[in-house]
Amino acid sequence: MIPQDIGFLGHELYSTSLGPVTPGNLIKFVLVLSISIILLRVLTIYLRRVLKDRVSKDVGEPILKLLYYGTLVIVFISILPLIGIDPSGFMLAGGVAGIVIGFATQNIVGNLVSGSFLMFERPIKIGDQVEVNGISGFVTDIRIISTYIRTHDGLLVRIPNQQVFTTNITNTVGHPVRRFEYTIRIRYSDDASAAIWLINDYIDKEPFALRNPTPSVFVNDLGESSVNIIVRIWAPVSEWFGLKTSLLLNIKKILEENGIEISYPQRVLHIKSEPEKIQHVIEEPKEQQFIENEPVLNFEERVVN
Amino acid sequence: MYGYYDPPFSVEQEGIFISVERTGDKWTYRRTSGKDEVEKLILGDGKRIIINPVEPLNTPKEITPNLLIEFEKTLLLAGGEKEQIFLTFPIEIGIFISDVGDKNPQLIDVLSLARQKFTLYGEVSNGVVCKHWKSKIYSASPSLNPLQEGILELTLRNTSSDWASISKAVFSAYGMKLYYDGDVYMKARVDILSRNTAETGFEIQSINGEMGYLVKDKKIRKEAFGVYGLRMLGLVPLKFYMEWGF
Repeated sequence: MIPQDIGFLGHELYSTSLGPVTPGNLIKFVLVLSISIILLRVLTIYLRRVLKDRVSKDVGEPILKLLYYGTLVIVFISILPLIGIDPSGFMLAGGVAGIVIGFATQNIVGNLVSGSFLMFERPIKIGDQVEVNGISGFVTDIRIISTYIRTHDGLLVRIPNQQVFTTNITNTVGHPVRRFEYTIRIRYSDDASAAIWLINDYIDKEPFALRNPTPSVFVNDLGESSVNIIVRIWAPVSEWFGLKTSLLLNIKKILEENGIEISYPQRVLHIKSEPEKIQHVIEEPKEQQFIENEPVLNFEERVVN
Repeated sequence: MYGYYDPPFSVEQEGIFISVERTGDKWTYRRTSGKDEVEKLILGDGKRIIINPVEPLNTPKEITPNLLIEFEKTLLLAGGEKEQIFLTFPIEIGIFISDVGDKNPQLIDVLSLARQKFTLYGEVSNGVVCKHWKSKIYSASPSLNPLQEGILELTLRNTSSDWASISKAVFSAYGMKLYYDGDVYMKARVDILSRNTAETGFEIQSINGEMGYLVKDKKIRKEAFGVYGLRMLGLVPLKFYMEWGF
């Protein structure tokens, strides 16, 4: 009974130029493909663990994806004869079919091609802090079809690669250092030179405020109610935000400790006192007022009478 | 302060207090320096604490493996010449735990009494962030506080045919080898390749040929466990290629 059951695997299902295709061939095709996928997955998981500490994620992930999909395509093409398809014929047919499929799957192919360019040109990398098409956040993954971004408030946004590739990308960590700027307004009565010295001294003690490019502290404007000092500091991109959010408060404290205060909006009024003129001005309206009000007063008198 | 300690112990120097004491069935590691306080629990017995100088690139936060030493005065070196100078470099103190005889101890704490500052070497668009240190130039080995500064014996070699004006050198922490005994010592070199390029590196092999020790000036210095040396990172360049001038 058993040999009879297994015998159906040798029956011809259909015939091609490469010979007859049997259920056994089909099972082999599926098995080889399945085992290849499983082995490749295990291999990529293993390599991901091995490379974790040695290679950064933005370099390791594209390599692993290239290895996974590249090997899978090679395995798939090499086992096509099992199901009676000649890979060389498939390639020729692919030329015509490619045009048809290309039109039908224009967006998917566009995203695929854009994804490949993103992986090789690398305007953004996994872990980068970017703004793409108005969406700001960290790049969590760059896949074949789409890019995943975790926004600053923790949302996951999937952007098609075509959109990423064709739109403006702002990579805030694209360069090793980044600058920030404060405007500090002090009173006119304070010593601006002393304030600049104090700020420079504090910046010099702050480790992440870079020594080169040199920070610049200068009086930029004599405002309506304050002397405006501009402070420009460069910091490593990894420390930029932390430094920017902590430094201003500390500068304020240091200035206040040294008697220099942040200016409030104010207006100085100069009042001139000229007693004679004032007396004249005060008396004059009284006379005029009496003349103007005379009919009214007379009216009252008339009423009383 | 540098050396091997078997718990329980406590050591205090220059405002740094380090102790490992038994609390119940565990050990407690405590370290205070200034306002900074660290306390950790150690599980298991028979552990040894090692305190030694480490590469000065871990505090206040490890953001770069490169150290830029700016010379207080610019040096001029004629083409084809070789000179030896002594510089200083900042020290960080590493506290490691290990089993007795273990050659791969685990770093548990690191601190520094030296000034902390970072700088950029190169251009804003593609330069390298480095830890910054400004050093005087000595013609002989200076006497320094080993908890704050170390001695860097630097060999300058101008392989080009032009005069070289040298005001800084950048070193990669991956190649650093520190030796200590009373003082802290490193031996490095700068090879001037052209008008704007140079290569820096460290002497891996100790002078007397025996690894783990450095014999110089009739002193035997012990090799320190490094933080970067402990990382089994392959494909990391031990040299630094200075392409934006020196």
